[in-house]
Amino acid sequence: MANTFAYAETRAGELRRVALEAVTAARQLADASGGGEVHALIVGAPGVAAKAEQLGRYGADVVTVVEDAALDKYSPEVVAATAAQLIGAGEFRVAVFSASAQGRDLAPRVAAKLGVSMISDATSLELNGDSVVSQHPVNTGKVIATVTLTGSPALVTIRPGAIAPAEANRSARVESGKPALDPASARVVPKELIQGNTAQLDLGEAPVVVSGGRGLKVPENFKLLEDLAAAFGNAAVGATRAVTDEGWRPHSDQIGQTGRLVSPDLYIACGISGAIQHLAGMRTSRTIVAINKDREAPIFKIADYGIVGDALEIVPVLTEAVKEAKKE
Amino acid sequence: MPPTSGRSLPVIPARYQPKLPVDRFILAEQPDAEAVPMDVVFVGGGPAALAGAIELSRLIKRDAEEGGSLGEIEIAVLEKASALGEHNLSGAVVNPRPFRELFPDLKDGDFPFRAPVGNERVYFMTGSRAQRIPTPPTMKNHGNYVGSICEIVRWMGERAEEAGVNVFTGFPVESLLVEGERVVGVRTTPSGLQRDGAPGSDYTPPTDLTARVTVLAEGTRGSLSQAYMKWRGIGSRNPQIFALGVKEIWETKQPLDAVVHTLGWPLPNDAFGGSFMYPLEPNLVALGLVVGMDYGELDLDVHVLLQRMKLHPLFRQYLEGGEMVEWGAKTIPEGGYFAVPERRYGDGVVIVGDSAGFVEVSSLKGIHYAVQSGIYAARAIFEALKKGDTSAASLAPYDRMVNESYIMSDLRERRNMRLAFQKSGIYAGGVKAALMTVTKGAFPGGMISSESDAEAPRTRRSGEEFKPDGTLTFSKLDAVFRSGNATRDDIPSHLVVGEDIPGDVAELYQHMCPAGVYERDGDRLVVSPANCIDCKATDDIGPRWTPREGGSGAKYRRM
Amino acid sequence: MKIAVCIKRVPDMETRFKIATDGKSVDQAGLKFDMSDFDGYAVEVALRLKEKEGQGDVTVISLGPAVVQETLRKALSMGADRAIQLETDSVPFDGLAIARALAAELEDGGYDLILFGRMSIDSSNQTVGPMTAELLGLPCMTAASSLEIADGRATARRELEGAAEILEFPLPAVITIDEGIARPRLPSLKGIMGAKKKPLEVRPAQLGEQRLSVKQMELPPERTGGRIIGEGPDAVPELVRLLRIEAKVL
Repeated sequence: MANTFAYAETRAGELRRVALEAVTAARQLADASGGGEVHALIVGAPGVAAKAEQLGRYGADVVTVVEDAALDKYSPEVVAATAAQLIGAGEFRVAVFSASAQGRDLAPRVAAKLGVSMISDATSLELNGDSVVSQHPVNTGKVIATVTLTGSPALVTIRPGAIAPAEANRSARVESGKPALDPASARVVPKELIQGNTAQLDLGEAPVVVSGGRGLKVPENFKLLEDLAAAFGNAAVGATRAVTDEGWRPHSDQIGQTGRLVSPDLYIACGISGAIQHLAGMRTSRTIVAINKDREAPIFKIADYGIVGDALEIVPVLTEAVKEAKKE
Repeated sequence: MPPTSGRSLPVIPARYQPKLPVDRFILAEQPDAEAVPMDVVFVGGGPAALAGAIELSRLIKRDAEEGGSLGEIEIAVLEKASALGEHNLSGAVVNPRPFRELFPDLKDGDFPFRAPVGNERVYFMTGSRAQRIPTPPTMKNHGNYVGSICEIVRWMGERAEEAGVNVFTGFPVESLLVEGERVVGVRTTPSGLQRDGAPGSDYTPPTDLTARVTVLAEGTRGSLSQAYMKWRGIGSRNPQIFALGVKEIWETKQPLDAVVHTLGWPLPNDAFGGSFMYPLEPNLVALGLVVGMDYGELDLDVHVLLQRMKLHPLFRQYLEGGEMVEWGAKTIPEGGYFAVPERRYGDGVVIVGDSAGFVEVSSLKGIHYAVQSGIYAARAIFEALKKGDTSAASLAPYDRMVNESYIMSDLRERRNMRLAFQKSGIYAGGVKAALMTVTKGAFPGGMISSESDAEAPRTRRSGEEFKPDGTLTFSKLDAVFRSGNATRDDIPSHLVVGEDIPGDVAELYQHMCPAGVYERDGDRLVVSPANCIDCKATDDIGPRWTPREGGSGAKYRRM
Repeated sequence: MKIAVCIKRVPDMETRFKIATDGKSVDQAGLKFDMSDFDGYAVEVALRLKEKEGQGDVTVISLGPAVVQETLRKALSMGADRAIQLETDSVPFDGLAIARALAAELEDGGYDLILFGRMSIDSSNQTVGPMTAELLGLPCMTAASSLEIADGRATARRELEGAAEILEFPLPAVITIDEGIARPRLPSLKGIMGAKKKPLEVRPAQLGEQRLSVKQMELPPERTGGRIIGEGPDAVPELVRLLRIEAKVL
């Protein structure tokens, strides 16, 4: 029986979905090891305590709430000091963070403060005797490593989406905590949170690429793809050679053998039949979604998920669904 | 077979070929004030250059140890690929002879070859059958090794660097800098140009290097070698002619236990060539098809023929269920003895390896001649440096060493073999070649004269369509993808294309280019320069290839 | 400004990897190696800062066996001034062990700025930079996608999922660099020549205890493709579910 810690990430006062994933992972680990307690930490501006109840539903037994008007934005040094203090003071076997941008900033700081090693970007998590064992994609996902970590507490960041949040029918005891470092004395100062970041990501670097072909019919319809990309927030818009040759999109947007070679986590091909020269530019993408009217289109042969139908009808629906998903 | 369309056939490609831009390759300019001072610059980083650089640095080291007065000599090897070996492609069955000379302290087992040749089989093919025939004497490979030129070149590069040679990868040479008749240095290509030729944000200007001797080791159809010979009026008795080889590497389920060569199908009767299939490992197979570029079909397509060929049971039995992991193409100079330039040196310059045409086509070999010519060049350069005179007269011993060696005696013995096929087709040509072999070249005596590939009329179409299946056979774009080609797509075109190319000529280019650079669109020619993998096929008969940004093109690993 | 950049030698990611016979590493045969992508950006940032100031000194540091000198030489040929190899037989997987060795080297170096790539492209742990900062007690910014430095203070931006944040901190500091911030330059021919004469020191690495290790490596299942999940807009909810649960990309 061992207690487990979970860091509940917030943004602008709202719990992020990855917070529920971390709590769920901690709950599952505690249950699997004979039923220890799950302690969650949530940090934010006054009012964030209201989120503690939800963490309870997803499996937290204790939620420590640290509220401070100066903590409306993520303050790396304050949160790291506070988490390290809590984890160091408790008898935690494992401390779970998300491998989100914030979690990947925070967890290594906490680990170093505690003088312990950590597992990054885990896609699975289990206790095995003295060790925490996880799978972790390496070499851009081309190889899966199984890693083991000895010693307590063991810190782990889990890949967003790797563990689905599940309600556990619990209610948490809420405890009020204080920042372990006065926010005013933090050297790294958060200045601004830019929401709904639509900064143009480079095609080669964007984790998500939304791409369009002749099936979009007229250049104006690329607006639909831009909306979908904006809904993801970390997406860039690409095009086929047919489209760039028509002048619908700039040549720099062309994905394919003679254009850009991209390999994002997610590639969404809209109204693209899948000429081999296009496939050559994107086939190493980790997950490929194809939306096309023609069931026989070659793009479906390499797509992980295909939807047969008019991209002009389907893309706006997908955009709304992605917005919903991102809200959580 | 009559042409399916009578329109404007035959096509004589030479009529549409732009002139070699000699004035771009040969600049009467001094190296700029910032030039990197070198003593000897090798242009190209293949087996000839690396052998030369290794031999030269050894001679210099020995001289220093013996108290010689040469002092510090800086040697540079400039390679256009981003790493050594990435632009090298060969069969290859390698004759180890010059490697033993270059590395006297090493044994054959130390060389980066894969395995000694064991079983050998030669077949005459028809569309459905493969008839095993006795191995012709010129194709017997006992004592030779199967190898990958990429691996050989990478290994030689390590030896060169250990010896103190400056190996610069990612630096193509755009021009020779000359003073009077003398080559005094080279200028690299710029990089970071935008499509319109204007400098982009990553622009790097060209770099000049000074050199007392420049060694042209550019490989097949070297731009500077061609330009230098044209500029100096260096001819050959016959024009150089070329073949195009398209090659694939397969990981197979079925092991291959022999070096295999085939003749006949899928080539038309009047095309010269054949296929090879070599085991790099039992389950790692190199296979390719080589076709002389004087073929008569407008739409003959070596890449497509190779794809068709793989469907033949002889190949299919090995490839089925396997995976094609690498693809590439390269031209091969196969004019032989009479096409070798009448001299391969000048003031401050020597020409080695494929750039000088040291290939013997009936045995399908060139690597060992390249290495040997590099060794001879190094010896001549060393003596010239010692004399403090790198004029043509001082470098002339290089030619003498080559002429008195097995390089030229091998080429001479088989001097008319390839040429017989240009005149006679495969059957009569085959009979003549057999007679030549038996008589060691005495039959028929004299010289069979030949015409350049660009002059060869393309008289008919096969009209055959081919649809790749994506598992055993592949489209050109799919293939180019597996060459590792990741050329920046917005660099200026490096291809000099003739004006107003008619549709039929565009069609010839489309089929000849294995990388899908050229497409016929109605009566228009569409060019996709970024597809180019520097095989130089169309450079032989049409659009001229010129050096472009360093690191562009293929990234071969085991070719 | 005195800048250190910590860089790693990694295999070319275009490779089709094979698992070595030990079952817990990648087969090294035929692999090409280069500087980790993100580290190239970090070197570029350092060089631009130095060029902007018109003076400064850039030290590149790599941990590993003798072959990492190749990667250090590349950074020198791009324009770094000196290099340090922290010698080990192999690069540990445990980020804290690496951070300890680096911190021991950096501690008394008097650096105004210590740069890392956001993560190494091979082991993808993304821990060494911030751990080193903690061990040194320095302010730390991770995954900077832009960076401005003025009057001893830095302002940097970090990309988040669907958002971004701006942070400010004083120097000296540790910063890990995200890609895209400044495209790494190609070494010039003169740079390559010059790099041969620049100082490269070799010192033993002080790694200490390692608790994180690789037990096994395997290749992910091959893409099957060809799965049509539905027709028209009605298939969208199922798509979103699969992207989330199965593909784990949403």
